[in-house]
This record gives sequence, structure tokens and C-alpha cells, in this order.
Amino acid sequence: MRSFPLHNFAGLTAIVLHRSEEPMRKVVEVCDRLGVRAVPKTGELTAEAVRGADMIILDIDTGHDEQFPWGVADAPVPLIGLVGSESPGRLAWAIGQQVDAYLPISALGNLFSALVIAHETFARKADRTRHEREIARQRAGRLDVIRAVLLLMPECRDEALALKQLRTMAMVEQITLEEAAARLLSERQVKRVDGQ
Amino acid sequence: MRGFFHLKGVKVALKLGLIFSTSGSYAALGQSALAGALGAIDALKESGIADITPVIRDPGGDVSRYEKAAAELLDDGVQHLLGAITSWSRKDMIPVLERKGGLLWYPCPYEGFECNDHVVYLGTSPNHHVLPAVDWVASKGMRRAYLVGSNYVWGWETLRLARERLQAAGLEVVGERYVPLGSTDHAHVVDEICASPVDCVINSLIGPSNTTFMRDLMASEPERKARPGHIVSFNQTEADLAELGPAADGLLSVGNFFEEEANAALRRAALAYAPNGRVSAFLANAYASVEMFAAGANLARSTDPRAVFSAVAAAPVQTAIGPIQVDPVMRHAAFAPRIALADAGQFQIIERAPNAIAADPYLARQSTSSTARRVDLRIVN
Repeated sequence: MRSFPLHNFAGLTAIVLHRSEEPMRKVVEVCDRLGVRAVPKTGELTAEAVRGADMIILDIDTGHDEQFPWGVADAPVPLIGLVGSESPGRLAWAIGQQVDAYLPISALGNLFSALVIAHETFARKADRTRHEREIARQRAGRLDVIRAVLLLMPECRDEALALKQLRTMAMVEQITLEEAAARLLSERQVKRVDGQ
Repeated sequence: MRGFFHLKGVKVALKLGLIFSTSGSYAALGQSALAGALGAIDALKESGIADITPVIRDPGGDVSRYEKAAAELLDDGVQHLLGAITSWSRKDMIPVLERKGGLLWYPCPYEGFECNDHVVYLGTSPNHHVLPAVDWVASKGMRRAYLVGSNYVWGWETLRLARERLQAAGLEVVGERYVPLGSTDHAHVVDEICASPVDCVINSLIGPSNTTFMRDLMASEPERKARPGHIVSFNQTEADLAELGPAADGLLSVGNFFEEEANAALRRAALAYAPNGRVSAFLANAYASVEMFAAGANLARSTDPRAVFSAVAAAPVQTAIGPIQVDPVMRHAAFAPRIALADAGQFQIIERAPNAIAADPYLARQSTSSTARRVDLRIVN
């Protein structure tokens, strides 16, 4: 069975960052069609203002990094970029901010598609970040796994059986292999100084 | 006589392009809608309300011909178009409407998820058809459903919504199949339905796919007709019944209008122009669309699409199917859904919402619970 991306935005709040009146009016109107509460803003955003928002619809033509209370490419909510001038510099800035979906200002009637894409892209980005953290954590634990295997080898005859026993410990405790290794080393008071 | 304007000393008459496929795979629907439009134009002229010149095009059910027909009419100074049955054809006309500043009056049920500034949506939306029909199925204690539809956006989206809603109500969806538009190759679908105990078939097929499927299914399982609502449609009308014959018995359909509510004006239009003489929702909504176009133009004293739309959306417009309010932001008409059962060539309304319900094309204004019946329909004696 296929799973569908988020496609009902009713009750969500969007901060709309734009300096011009007409695009702002139109974005607010289209948001209303979708049940989204649009909060018009000009200038810089505060962390407090972002806290209550579920997404930010921003003007790429006038956007800049200092406008946001987060580091570059670290937005806490999906970003939908309104494309006006199509200048390469502005698009490069938006790509650098990892804007999640783009919509030409002349096509505001299709905002729904941009919202679906932005929320799905943002969710996948978060999944990817979690996955990358997990891989980094596993890599960091490799040395502990080697040490734990060496520690278990005298009682397990060889390294394959030692690794198998470590896996069994992890499975019984329902923890990762790296966590099991760290726990074993800690319990047996093995000195764990990197590089030694 | 109203319906004329004097702009800079020049008398301007109303022109309305009628783009309906009156030939091809879904001709029955196009013929019914065209009949409504022509009947309304006659009635408005007789009553002196408006003198509208129809400009008729028949794309023959070929989706590639809609855009060209629309472009030609708009280039000829026809700013207002009434037509397009399928969403596919409507979506193909939208770019040319945007480019040339035209307005499409679209009188058919559709799957939602659209709100274009060059379209007035005068058919039912998913909260008018899929939701009440699926809720009816769930309320009857049915447990197993099978979904079949034409392989394009109407079938895909109505069945996606139906599936989600049915599953949320605890029903099992035992199968879901799509048939190419116009295809009658569906023996495998009938076999699958007959091979498993299915309480209800949700049918979003259109045209000959629908007709032959319904006939084949009823021929394979004639005892089905004893179970009202064993097959459910979100768009079938009296325009389909003649071709379906007894195969339609027990069919549950939903819409904003059924023939039993037709007034004399609609019946006159059907007798004059509809090949089968029947009043369907396609005929009635096309009739009402012409009335709304005339009312908007008269109120605006202009044929400018934006001015006409603003005028028509400012207040409810009295039509042959009752007052119709178009939401000025959503651009969709509000309707009171009706649920009807087919028997012996007639639809009989069994439930009706007491009031018109605003269209919710993005389903953004529905409550989160899918089990409670949300559309307020009342049983009709």
C-alpha cells in the first residue's frame, strides 16, 4: 500500500515573509483556502515568532541569512521559497538555506503542491540527519567493539565467537552492538583511552 | 432587453463557448450538459433576461482537442466558456485560460485539490460526494469493499479518499483496480469481485468502461440487485441510466441534484435537447451555470471575467436548481448533497442534507475523526 505525504494542512500556521503588499495578500488568501493560518511578517524573524509556526513561506528575492534565528541550512520548520526574479545568486542563496520547495510568485494558486513537497522534503531531511547521526555514532563505537571482542576472546576461543557473544549480549539487553561493547568495557573497568 | 451592454457606443452581446464532448467515449454526459446549457439559453432569451449566443465545440472525447478549442474561442473574443467533463480536459484548458484571460464555468463533479482563478467550480467537490457516500456505506454495517476506477485523476483521487475513509471506519479494502479510460477490458475485475465476498463495490469508472462493467458484474452476480447500495458511485446520474438499464438497479449515487427534483424548465430543456429526454445533474448544473453567467454579466454590466465572477460571487444567485452561492475566495459552489438509489431506471433520493454545504476541495475543513458521520444528511421518506 502506498503511503501519502502530508496533504492536509488545516490548522497549521505559516509565517509569510514578504515586503510587497500584493503577493502577501495573495499568499494569505491561498493559505486561507487550505485552512492554513498565515501570519504576515516583514524584516527579521525572532526565535519566539518561529516557535509557534509550522512552516515559513519566504521571498527569495529579499531573503538573507541574518533574517533568521537559526544557522544556515538549519531551519526548524519547512521552508517554501517564492521565486520572483530567478536570478542565479538568489537561487543559490535559497539552495544554501536548503529551502524545501519552490513556487514561482506567478503560480501562487499551486501553493498546495509546494506545501506537500516542502513538508515531505523536510521530513526526509530530518530522517536523513537522524540516520547520519546513527552512522557517526556507530563509527565512533568501532574501537570499543574491537576492544570488547579482544576482551572476550580468552573465554570464547576465537574472535568470531567473541563477536557472536557480544551480539548475544546486545540482543538480550536490546541495545546496539556498540552500546553493549561500551557497557562490557565499563563493567570490566577497561581503560578506554583513544589511540592506546 | 438586458444581456446587452453599450460600451463606447457599441452594443455588446453575450457569447458563451460550450465545449462539451457530445461524441466519443463519454458522449452521454456531454450531451446531457449541452442540453442543459442550450435549454437555459433559450429560457433566458424568452424571458428577456439575457440574449446569449452559444458557440459550440465538440472535442469528441479527445483530451488533446480541448486546449485548441478553448484557444480558438478565446481568440475569437469569447471570454466565457462552459464545459469540460473530465478533470483531465479541464486541466488542459487552464493554461490557455490563464494566458488569454478567460473564465471557465465548470459544471461537473470533480475530485477537488484545485482552485484556479480562471475557473468557477459549479459541480460537487469531494465533501459533497465521496464523504457522504462512503459514510453511508460505513453506516450500513458493510465490512468489505472493492474499489475500481478509470485510470486518470478522477479515479485515482476519489478512490484514494474512499480507501482512506473506509479503512478509518474499519472496513477492509479487498482490492483496488484501475481501467484505462474508454477500455472495456475488465473481466479480471469482475472475476476478482465475484471470487471474494464483497459487501460493496466503489465504482469511479466513467463512460463505456462503467456501462460494460456494471452490466458484466450484474450478469455474473444477478443476486446483487437485492442489496441496495451494493455498488456506489460518486458521479452517476440519469445520463447513465438509459445505457445501464437493469444493471443500474441497487446502484447508490450521490450528487447535488437528481431528476425527481427537476422543475418544468429543466424538463423542457431535456425534452428539447437531451437525446434521452432525461434531466441529470450534468444537465441541471449546466443549466444553472448559464443562469449564473447571465446573472453575473447583468449585475456587472460587463463581460470582463473578473467583474462577472465578482458579481456572481457577491450573493446567492437564484437558478433552476435553487439558490447557488459561490464562495468568492474558494470559487466553488455550495451544495446540499443528496444520496439516491437507482431502481427501474429512476434514481430515488433516500437522504438529503438540510442545507447547502460549502465546498471543501482540499478537505481542509473536515474534523480529524473519520468514523463519525460528518455530513448531515437526513432520511427522506
